[in-house]
Formats: sequence, C-alpha cells, structure tokens
Amino acid sequence: MKVLPADKIREALNILAGEAEVYAPLVRGDVSGYIKWTDGPGDELALDILNTYMPPKHIVMPQTENMYKFIATGKDAQVTEIVTAEGPRIIFGIRGCDLQALHALDLAFLTRGYEDEFYKARRQDLAVIARACYQPGPACFCESMGVDRLNPEADVVIHVLGEQGLAWEPKTPKGKDITAKLQGILVDKEVALPQAADMKVKVDITGLSEKLAGMFEHPVWDELSSRCMNCGVCTYVCPTCYCFDIQVHNRGEAGNRFRCWDSCMYKEYTQMAGGHNPREFKKERFRQRFLHKLQYFNERYGANLCIGCGRCIIMCPNEVNILEIINKLKEVQVDA
Amino acid sequence: MPDLDRHTNPLVPTMVKVVKIIEETPDVKTFYVTTDEGIPFKVMPGQLAMVSQLPVGEGMFSVSWQAEDHLQFAIKRVGLLTEALHEIEPGQTLGIRGPYGNGFPVDECKGKDMLFIGGGIGLAPLRSFIKYCFAHREDYGKITILYGARSYADLCFKKELFEEWPQVPNCEVFVTIDNPEEGWDGHVGFVPAYLEEINPSPQGTIAVTCGPPIMIKFVLQALEKMGFTDDQVITTLEMRMKCGIGKCGRCNIGSEFICLDGPVFTLAQLKKLPPEW
Amino acid sequence: MSDYTAKAREIAKKLLQDGTVAMVLGWEKGDEPFVSAPAVIRDAADVDRLVVDEYCIHDLATLLPDYRDRSEKIAIFAKGCDSRGIVRLIQDRVMPRDRLYIIGINCPGMKDPNEFIRAASGLSKAKPADKAVKCLYCQYPNPVLYDEVIGEIQQPGEDKRFAEVDKIESMSADERYEFFIKEFSRCIRCYACRNACVACNCRTCIFDETKPQWVGRSTDPVNNILYQIVRSMHVAGRCVECGECERACPVGIPLMLFNRKLIKDVDKFFGPYQAGISLEDDAVPPLSRYRVDDPDEFM
Repeated sequence: MKVLPADKIREALNILAGEAEVYAPLVRGDVSGYIKWTDGPGDELALDILNTYMPPKHIVMPQTENMYKFIATGKDAQVTEIVTAEGPRIIFGIRGCDLQALHALDLAFLTRGYEDEFYKARRQDLAVIARACYQPGPACFCESMGVDRLNPEADVVIHVLGEQGLAWEPKTPKGKDITAKLQGILVDKEVALPQAADMKVKVDITGLSEKLAGMFEHPVWDELSSRCMNCGVCTYVCPTCYCFDIQVHNRGEAGNRFRCWDSCMYKEYTQMAGGHNPREFKKERFRQRFLHKLQYFNERYGANLCIGCGRCIIMCPNEVNILEIINKLKEVQVDA
Repeated sequence: MPDLDRHTNPLVPTMVKVVKIIEETPDVKTFYVTTDEGIPFKVMPGQLAMVSQLPVGEGMFSVSWQAEDHLQFAIKRVGLLTEALHEIEPGQTLGIRGPYGNGFPVDECKGKDMLFIGGGIGLAPLRSFIKYCFAHREDYGKITILYGARSYADLCFKKELFEEWPQVPNCEVFVTIDNPEEGWDGHVGFVPAYLEEINPSPQGTIAVTCGPPIMIKFVLQALEKMGFTDDQVITTLEMRMKCGIGKCGRCNIGSEFICLDGPVFTLAQLKKLPPEW
Repeated sequence: MSDYTAKAREIAKKLLQDGTVAMVLGWEKGDEPFVSAPAVIRDAADVDRLVVDEYCIHDLATLLPDYRDRSEKIAIFAKGCDSRGIVRLIQDRVMPRDRLYIIGINCPGMKDPNEFIRAASGLSKAKPADKAVKCLYCQYPNPVLYDEVIGEIQQPGEDKRFAEVDKIESMSADERYEFFIKEFSRCIRCYACRNACVACNCRTCIFDETKPQWVGRSTDPVNNILYQIVRSMHVAGRCVECGECERACPVGIPLMLFNRKLIKDVDKFFGPYQAGISLEDDAVPPLSRYRVDDPDEFM
C-alpha cells in the first residue's frame, strides 16, 4: 500500500496547495476547522483530534459569499459582475460524517428544479481526500445515520497510522491524479491498518420520519424546546445546515449582493414585512429545525439532514442533545 | 462591461424599466415593467417574481398581470423595500428574476364556474387569473368576483372592478367595504359574511381566495359550510422568501417550499401539510 | 454540595404539591455524569429528576423571558450570579417579583459541562478546569434575592476581575485595535452571547431589526466589531457578570473582558454601582436612570 510518511505530510500539502486551494483540519487558537492551508505560523495540523469544531461546509458555501456587484445611479442600475468562484479545491482529512453532509448539500443545492450556480462553481472541481475513522467519540452516532465511516466515498481515502504516517488509497481517476502529484514522496510499504473501535452510541431511526409526520402538534415539543435559548450555535456548527439569507451592501453608487448563513433559530428568519411571523416563538423555531433534519429533508430528498457528527451536542451552551431528542420523539405516544 | 443580459444564473436579476406607475390606493401602486426586447419572461397566472431595487433589497411579488408588452405588479407599502419602490418614478431601472412557483391550475379549471374571493392586496394575484379567464372567456363558465377592503380608498383596481369587469358576459362582481362611509352606497361588511349572504352554489364551481390570513380562515369555513369540497377550494400562501428557487430554506411548510411548490395550493393539499400557514 | 439535591427536590415537591408554583426551573442530569442541563418540572411526581450539583452552571434566569407574557408562578433555582440576573429582569419589568419563588443556592463555584464535553468528545486536547473561568473571581457567590436558600454561606473569591482590563488599558491605541480585530474577526455571529445574556431581554433585538437594519449581516471585521460593541454597550451597567456570554461563545472570544471594561467604567464614572444586587428604587442601572439634576444635558 502507498504510505505518506508522517514527516512528509506538510510537504505533500504544500505540493497540492501549489495547484489548488487545500483545506485541512487545522487548529487556530480556540477555533478548529477546515482552514485553507498556507503552512502559516500559528496553524496546527490536527490529525490527532477526532474532528474540528467548525464543519467544512464553508468550502462550498462560505459564511458570507459575494454574489454579484452592481452600480445604481439615479434611475439607472446594472449588474456589473457575477462573482462565481470556480477553481480547483481539495478537502484533506475530512471524515465520512462530513462527507455525507456534503452529499446532503449537493441534494439541496443541485437537485429538485434549480441548480445553484454559486454552489456549483465551488463544488464541481472539488476533490475529496477523506479519512477513515477508526476511533469514534462519545457523541458520535454517524453509523445510525447511514455513514460508512471506514470506507468513505471519496477520491482518496487515507488511514492515519500514527508515527508511520498515512496509508494512502486512491479511489477515483481524480484521486489517481492527485496521487501522481505526490509520486516523489509516497512510498510503497506493507502496513497494518488500525483496529476499528466500535461506535458506542446507536440510535434506530427507522420509521422516525413517518412518525414525525403525525407529530407536528404534539405537546412534547414544548418540553423538548424548553431548555433551548434559540441561539444559532447548533445551526452554524452543523455540517448540513445550509439555510441562507440574501443581503445587500452599498457604498455610494456601487454595491454588491451577498448571501450569508442564516438560522431557523432566529425570529427574523421568517419575519414578514407586514408583521406576521409564522414561527414567532421558540417552540416553533426549535421544531422547524428538528423536523427539517429528521422529516422534511427525508420527504423531499430521501436522505437525513443529520449525519451524526455530534457537533451540536458538543457545542450547545444549554445542553440540547439531538440524541435525547430523537429518543424522546421515538418514545412518545401519538394519538391515532 | 461584460454582457450580463443573457446570464442564466437564477439568483441574479435581469434589468427592467418601469414604464408606468398607477396609484391604486393610498398604499398600493401598480408598476408596469418591461425591457427593450419586450417582457423579461413569460409568467402564468399566480406565478411570482423577485423584484429588486438594487441598492435597497429584493422582494417576492405576485405578477398581477402579464400584458403583451409588459408585466404588472401591484405592490403594497409595508416594509423597507416597498417603501423605496413607492418612491420611484417611471424610467427607473429595477432588477427582476423569475418566474417562480406553480401558478393557478388554469387548465384544470376549464369548464368550471369560477368564484374569486379577495381581500385587500389579495386581489393582485387573483387578478391575473381573473383576467386570464376573461381572455379565454369561452373556456370558463360563470365568473363571480367578491372583493372587499377596509374602505373605498383601499379598493384596488377600481376602474376594472366598477367599470370593466361587470361588463364581461356572465360575470358578476360584488364589492364590500368594512365600515360605512359617506358616498358609498354599496355593501358594507366583511368578506366572509358577504360570501354567506351571496351563498354561491358549489355545483361545478372552483373557489379561489386570497387575502389577509384572518379573512382566508373565515372564508374557508364559510365555503365548507356551503358545501365546497377541499378539492374545489384554491388559495395562495405567503411566507418570507429570499432565493425563490427552493434553496435558502425559510419558506417551507413541511417539506414543501412555497416559492417552488406553491404559492397556489388546493385546500386538500394544504390539509396534508403541517398547520403552519 | 452533596446535600443540595435532596433539599432542592424537597422544596420543589412541596411548592408543586401545595400549588404555590405551576412550574420549577431547575436542572436535571444529562447522559454523562458531567452534564447537568436546564429542566422544566411541572409535576410533583417528576421532582426526582432535579439535581443541584457542581455542573449546574447555566443561568436559568435567561430562560425566564420565555414566560413573560403568561401568568403562572414559577419557582427558579438561583446561584449568586443568577439571582443578580433575576433582579435585573424584575427591574426591567420582564418578570414581576410576585410571579417568582426564588430558591437560592449558596454557590461554591461551578464546573463547566461544556469544557468536559469538549474534552471527552475528542475534539479538544484542552483539560477541563476544576472551577469554571466564569466563577474564578466571583464576588457574589450567595444569592442577593431569594425566598429560601440552600447550602452554607460561601466566601467571595479573590477580586482580580479587572486585571485583564488593566492590561488592555495599558496598550497603545494601535495595539488595542490589533487586539480587538484579532478577537472579533473569528466571531461567527451565532448570537449565542446575546441569547445567553440575561440583560439581553429586548422583545425585538436591534440585531433582528430589518426596518432599518442597523448592523450588516456579513461576517467581516467591521460588522463583527459593530455587533460586539453595540451588544456590550447595550448591557453596560446592566451586565451582572454571570459570564454566560463568554461560556456560550463557540469560538472563545473573551467577551467578559469587554463587559468588565464597561463595568469598571460605569462604576467609576456613574457609580459606585454594581448591577443587580438590590431591588431598591435607587438601584436601577445608572444608564437607565432619569434624574432632573443630571449633570449632563442629554435631552
């Protein structure tokens, strides 16, 4: 098997970064995320942590993304530039959970009527070097959400071998091209892949989407939402939450329209100009988030919008726990 | 300057010129927009379009009529964008993208009697269907229009309402205002109550209603009382929208997006959705 | 704190059974020993879910505005910091005193479940602290307002609250600018700091206003700083130093540093004043007070 020796990982990333934007799991102070690799000081490549706090979704949908520029003078107005960000990109070290999240985003942005051209521009030339996940954490439940954590569907799959470096398996033609670029530093070697630890957390969601279809008005939502304080942490650290806002920025006669992450947790999200808000209260916004994840997305696209990475559980300041919620939703009785 | 007129990006507007503005009521204006090459795109009755005053914002509006050489939007002043739109004058360039949404089931309604029930600015989307029926008069049976607003001044499309539509063969127009006022000798009272007074027959009839949520609620109850089945009742929904193409998330009711799967639903379809409308 | 839970359950049970209150805002255990989570108990049969242990770090008062337009009486557990938040909510007319039954907790300092969850998750190599950062220099470990109280009186910690503020003040203007830019540039505008704040109880927050929109929604240094400066200025003189904003921040921005700068300045220029320690008429925050003999002409 091909192996990238531990002391060559930096060099490999630098080679790849010469031809593409490379995003790798980096720790930068209090933040960790799939940050653009510049081999800069202060960034620590983090292959020894389970996952990054921030998800990789910003690579295909930046938190703030310029869409087009315009000039408006008196009665005249025109769009002067459409800003799409084509170009080769590589995600390095992403796990099966986050990769499945990317596939969910593909469903949302590229199917059912329209293709989102801003998303497509970033997505179409994106190569994925995914990492097989042998040691899941205590908040991980990706297998229950259908993730194959040991065989992620990527262009290259890497296996972290500790001091020996990374076992390197190209899986697609795109993956073979990337591998060819590293010909000088990859070595052929017999290595034993790590033993996979079991995932301790399991939750059976069979039939949950169907059950939820009859639970919109169930009183359990009052109880479940009671500890939520309606901030947007869960939605912003979620690798699948993709809702966005479209806003405008002006400076004199020139301006640009951009989109930015938005959150169904915010009151303003559904606030209509005339004053009506269909999701005025906390319960309604909380319910929207979980039904979107566990029912609506399923009904529309045939996939879950939760991939079991556990980030929302880890990051919620008030200990809202999607596993507890799924279990309660499964438990409660629904009147026929 | 790049040629941006032919782009296909669904989130980027094309430019249109406002050629005429009609003051319908103290807070509703109708804007006629077009391009040098004619209408920017074809719309079906009930479909939506995103209209932008570029430096201010974008908003989703129902196209209240597609004429041969322009599109019409009747827009009520309620927020930041609509306030800005009410300030503009003919000759202003606006952005537009669309058409969005499903529109009214004009073909399925062929051969039926049509009952249109509108309140306030809710007549704007209905108008596109009403005028479509008039343009294809032989395809539809009797047409009944019931429309109400707070006061005489708040009635939209007065010329059509009082002069043109009543002249159309086999068409009856009923107008009501909420409170009595000097000079008004027409009906006074809320739309749902007037509907019960008129008591139209559900036989072979499709009812289409649009207006403020509270009016819709009571109109639906009245229609049910009169014997209209859920398949015979059509309404349009409104949610906050940003993208118009089913991506940005906020206009969902259950797994349906109002911008894509709506805004037009039969009551039968609505009853299958979570009661969030 | 081993006897706190039994006492808490006993009090809650009595209050629910005799109808004094309709609900109890407390904590229950999560699925890990280091997780205690906010809980609403409405039935005396459920009081055994309640716990009061060293992981009960959340300021339950931040959940009270959810119930502002109702009328039921609420029992709420309150540590020293939380009780100051309750005073603020009463002073801000969010919740009348007579709708609350306050069960005080003399607090020895808490551990932060989030630190433990993050350490256990494998996402962080940082070791959780024995005492949460927000509790380190606590000056009010004992509730300032309560109907009854659990536990022994606790001694306040060492008052080094302004040590970091002093450091910032001694920087040059350029250094300070660099510092602010660096800290705020990573803000993701999740508004956890706002929603975790008991002083942020406006019905419509300025950041949710769309007519006009006061602060841009893009995440860039300018709008992030604008957001954070406006947020901290809005709570100037009203911040009760519960530290929940900083604890809730997912990207580790030292928000209490900014709050404490304002606490220090309000105390110095308009004080002496500490927010939320008294319900007396003259204890309303200096910046929310109107006096005919105010030395400044501001109106």
